Amino acid sequence: MTSHTIQTLRELVKQDRVHRDVYEDPDIFELEMERVFGRSWVFVGHESQVKNPGDYFCSWVGLQPVVMARHSDGKVHVFHNRCSHRGVRVVNEVQGNAKLLRCMFHGWTYHTNGELAGVTQPEGYPKGYTFDPVQMGMPRVARQESYHGFVFIALDPNVPSFREYFKGVLAALDDLVAYSPENEVEVTGGILRYGYPGNWKFQTDNACDMYHVVYSHESSSSGKAQYVRRTGDKSGIPFFDDQGKILTFDASGLWAFDGGHGWEGPVVQSHGNSAKWYRDYEERLKKSHGPERAHQILTRKRHNTIFWPSVVIQDLNMHIRWVRPIAVDKTEVIILPIKLRGAPEEMFEESIRMLNTTNSAASITQADDVEAFIRGHAGNRTRNGNPWILLARGHADSEVSDPAYDRGVKSFGSSEMLLRKQYQAWVHLMTA
Amino acid sequence: MREAIKNLNPADPIEELLFVRALERFVVAELELLDGRAFEQWRDLFTADGVYWAPSRPDQQDPKTELSLFYDDREIMDTRIRRLRHPRVHAQIPYSRTTHVVSSFVVDARDDQAGTVAFHCAFVMHEFRPELEQRAFAGRYDYRLVTQGGRYRIKWKKATAINCDAMHYPISTPL
Repeated sequence: MTSHTIQTLRELVKQDRVHRDVYEDPDIFELEMERVFGRSWVFVGHESQVKNPGDYFCSWVGLQPVVMARHSDGKVHVFHNRCSHRGVRVVNEVQGNAKLLRCMFHGWTYHTNGELAGVTQPEGYPKGYTFDPVQMGMPRVARQESYHGFVFIALDPNVPSFREYFKGVLAALDDLVAYSPENEVEVTGGILRYGYPGNWKFQTDNACDMYHVVYSHESSSSGKAQYVRRTGDKSGIPFFDDQGKILTFDASGLWAFDGGHGWEGPVVQSHGNSAKWYRDYEERLKKSHGPERAHQILTRKRHNTIFWPSVVIQDLNMHIRWVRPIAVDKTEVIILPIKLRGAPEEMFEESIRMLNTTNSAASITQADDVEAFIRGHAGNRTRNGNPWILLARGHADSEVSDPAYDRGVKSFGSSEMLLRKQYQAWVHLMTA
Repeated sequence: MREAIKNLNPADPIEELLFVRALERFVVAELELLDGRAFEQWRDLFTADGVYWAPSRPDQQDPKTELSLFYDDREIMDTRIRRLRHPRVHAQIPYSRTTHVVSSFVVDARDDQAGTVAFHCAFVMHEFRPELEQRAFAGRYDYRLVTQGGRYRIKWKKATAINCDAMHYPISTPL
């Protein structure tokens, strides 16, 4: 039983700050699972993870297990991973292929669209007891949409439409698939998982935070820049200017949208990469799109893009970073590589090589972010009369609307505008 | 079935014992470098094209097209070690203390002429970082050693933890 009311929840978020309880209170966490993850469009997987009929992938929404499966009709269906008999989770492998999904408890079976296939020993049920395949199936989620193969679902049938919910931020997915000479991406190349003893929002807060980079990640830099991410790049991400002054990526810019979505501008441009695979890639892109369009595509527009609250997609070493809340103080983060169809194999191999260093549990960069999350959780224990976490950087006067993107607002790179948008969305969902 | 199960009596048990003991001494010395945080010396045990690999899945085959916990060539090793030596390596302040334990050595392939050997063994690594709970990794090391300048160098080392596909809190030093 929660002690929170609409009024107390509203008081946790001010225009330029947020209360530490938002990260630390178990009651708030329970409410978030119901109201934030239960009332928004949440990422569950990519269609390329279930290529063939019968392929399934175990996913989740907040704490709830769901299954994404491709049925014999070729369509991808998302349904709750729960047997209609005694409520046992039916599918337990992370991924696989099956003709029927069978519950281990009493052997009930389901089709890969979630419909009930069979009840064992049906004669034991009272006469006239009907087992409607849909009513007694593994229940479909309320809403499901796919955009360039990225599958999002909503548990609440009354959420705004998918396109309304994500508005201008969908441009990030359009631009991502345009990097592929075949205008198509797939999710392949394994899974990485890392975790930390802290709230899920530490990770979503950090996704497009350009202010922390040079401070948190100084140990992975040497000289003026961070280590070179890909063979053939002239430099890593620059941390210092010629005078040794710290760079803040302010010129890169930051974009935000209602709902807490947005992206940070590019931290490094691809142009100037001297590797052979890169020149091959450029040629293929020119061949399929023409030189002018290819040049547009290759001019990077962003680094990380967040589709709040569930997923972050990176443009440089392309991958999905997917945030999975486990408890108020425990979070798992899943990394899925994105492969460009029609691009040289070496390009994907370069991406894998670097993702190991940036996003595995043994990362030489992410580990420092996680350290900040752990210390954030520890710091939130303080009771000194100031419970506020300050998000004031670039507040209000730096924010200008950007007509290039539907209802997009732009600020400077190290602004905290996007966090303010996220906590406005948080309050809206928590008190709706 | 492995030779040892089929045949309890190797042709030359003393020679085999000494050979395995030499490998064991090499691995124990290598792991002492890791436990002693002598990362540069540890790196120097590898050949210039040597690789340290920790898969992300127990039966992972290909480190090039599938993500790994570690897949460190010399360049990445250097970056990793430079970071571990940096005064602001936040995730290692305070640093992890580790103890590596190895056992159950088995020779897989041996070419005395070429001076190469492939073998595997079991490992356990305990890790303690102040404030965090002590944790343990266990699994199998696979080694390919070559002889250079009259001594063994590591061409390839794979560290497969039995829980490598689980969610992990940050791992800052090699398994």
